[in-house]
Formats: sequence, C-alpha cells, structure tokens
Amino acid sequence: MAIPALNHPCWQKLAAGGLSKIRTQHLGTQLLAKRIERSTDPLPARAAELHAFFTKWERILPTEVAQLTTL
Amino acid sequence: MNQLISVQAAAELIRQGTPLSLAGPESALDQLPAGNWIGGTIPYFMVPSGGVVVQDGQVFATDLSPAGEVSFASYGPETLGDISRNGPDNGFAVTIIPAGSSSHQKFAAGAANFEDAFLKPTVGWIAGVHLSQLGTVTPKVYDGRTATKYEDRAVVAYVKLPADKLASIEIVNLFEPGTGDLLQFEQTAFEVGQCLVNGQPTNLATYVREHGLENGQLPLVGDFAGAHVNASLQSVGEAGGKVVLYAPVFPGVDYRFAKPVGDYAAAFRARLADQSTDGLALSCNCILNFVFGELEGKAIGGMAGPITFGEIAYQLLNQTMVSVRVH
Repeated sequence: MAIPALNHPCWQKLAAGGLSKIRTQHLGTQLLAKRIERSTDPLPARAAELHAFFTKWERILPTEVAQLTTL
Repeated sequence: MNQLISVQAAAELIRQGTPLSLAGPESALDQLPAGNWIGGTIPYFMVPSGGVVVQDGQVFATDLSPAGEVSFASYGPETLGDISRNGPDNGFAVTIIPAGSSSHQKFAAGAANFEDAFLKPTVGWIAGVHLSQLGTVTPKVYDGRTATKYEDRAVVAYVKLPADKLASIEIVNLFEPGTGDLLQFEQTAFEVGQCLVNGQPTNLATYVREHGLENGQLPLVGDFAGAHVNASLQSVGEAGGKVVLYAPVFPGVDYRFAKPVGDYAAAFRARLADQSTDGLALSCNCILNFVFGELEGKAIGGMAGPITFGEIAYQLLNQTMVSVRVH
C-alpha cells in the first residue's frame, strides 16, 4: 500500500489519537506514538510528523502502513 | 570488527583512519591518538563467551565503516537537540554521554522531543566507571578528533547509509510490567517524591519500602504504546523521602513495577535465539542486568558490546539490551 498523501484525512485522525491503536512491534513507531499522544504541538504539525515518519520507514513497516487508513 | 582488542591494536586502527566507536577504561582510552573515533569509559563488556571486566590494556572497538560513511561531532548540554537535527537523512547517530552529567539529564528528559528524533535515529550508551569507583571517579566521553575527554558532552559518530539501506533500532527488555498497582507521575523527573498509585497521592519511597522493592532489582516499566521502557531505581530514601532513578519517569505514561526475572542469561539466550545477527552494527547492555543477572562469565547469545550505565534507543532506556541493525 502506498503512503497516503499529506492531505489525506487519515493523518489528522492518527495525530488526534488514532495512532495509539496501531498494532506494531517496531520500537520507533511505539515511541513516536507515545510522543504524539503527549505532544502539545498543533494537530497539523503532528500530522505532518507522522506523514514524514511513515514515508521514511515505509519499506520496513509494511504492516503498519497497511493500517494507516483503518485506525 | 566488534570486539575487545588491545590498546596498541586500537591505536594502529586509528592511525590507519578506521572510523571507530570505542569503549574501555579511562587509562586505556587516554593512550589513544587523535583520529576518527569516539569513546566512552566503561570496564564491563559482553562478548560471545560471556560478560567480562577488562583491565587497563584493552578497549572494545566497533568499526563503523562497514555500515556506511562516518563523520563525527560533539555537543554540549545546551545543544543536544542538534544530534538528530544534524544527522544524515538516511543513517543513524551513535551517541555516548557520561553518566551523571547534565548532558545525561537533559538528553533523558528531552530526546523524544528533539527535532527529527524519529527520522534520524540515535543509538548509543551512557558511559560509566568501575562500580568500585562510583562517587570517586567521573565517567568520561572522548572526541577522538582531538583525543579530548569530557565529563559533560555528548560525542557522536554519524553513520550515513547507502540509499538502498535503512537502519532499525531493536531492544531486548527482559522486564514486563507486573500485575500490581498503576503508578503515574505528574512531572518528568529523575527524583520522585510524590506519585499517584491507582490515582491516590502516595510517597514513592514509602511505597517502594512497603513493597520490599528498595533493592532496586525490579524497574518501573512504562507503557509507551506497547513498548516497555524501564526506569530503574538508583536509590530509595527513607519513608517520606525521595526515590532517585537512572532514567526519568514521564507524565502521561502508565507505570508498573516489573515482574521478577529468574535466570537472566537463559532469558537473554531465549530471546536472542531466533534473532539473526545479519546487519548488526553495534549493541550494548545494561550494568544492572550484568550485576543483578550475575552475567560475568555467562554467555547470553552471541551479542557483543559495552555493558553500560544506560542505553540509548531514540531515548534513554534502562536495564535493556539495545542493537542497531542495517537492512
């Protein structure tokens, strides 16, 4: 599955709490999920951070990427 | 190369220009010439045959060149956020910080919030001393470019990977949260007085003593979206006093004291049995696992690296084995 574009609504949903439901054993994804949950950054900034993260690590996170639009 | 070698052999590698991450006693690192290396003090190591304590003439050397193109930097406590910001777009930053320094404290409290922390990962360890020297000798890190040692800086080796490679940081944490009380904290802190136990304000030192946990063998285990992140107990004050931790606790994270681990060496071997060593660039493990698990002379599954006063995998960890793998 390709990474959704930055303007896809999934990113704001993930940044607003959806990411905490992701099923993953990848340490970076887990720690980032907690960081996003605790962050006081504006929602668009958090969404952009998640988009950049999954774009960077797409190749080693196929099962996580497949969940992005379902959370 | 990822092994114990003599100081003389390390010096020769440095003279040849080999980019190295080094660990060893201060007396050994002091003998090395300037060159392409970073280092940190510690005399404890895991090697394939088991845990060892080295004397003055040896260092643990990791040649970083097989992983990628290596460059070096060092940062003071006020500029630690630049570690990830200045990293290569594709690679990782091997970072060593001295235990007990303000750099240690600031990195522990803020690393997860550094710019690009999860795009340009940081891996590494906290330098220490022989346990018999605690309180009398300070841990040091070395910027090998000038062969200068520091008590309060972070030294960094940036490894830039080829475009077709990616790095992933992996951990082995033997500790799982127990089924006991839920502990929460209202501030990011290494020293804790009050906390919430099942929502009720409670003095942590009193709680720890009432539950017989003051020997520090069992860490607090934080739930970071499913990842288990330990905060280990360094000292426990009298009831009503403070608990000092080796890593901070954070607000917004649920903690529980860990379940006991029986045979540490067997547990590590079991966890590592199904893990490939392909692409491993470096590893480290915690001094508390070495001490409480009595790992001296015990093989734990082939991993090799320093036994440290804290581990870095994006952020500071405790009582955890950390590795970086290049895919």
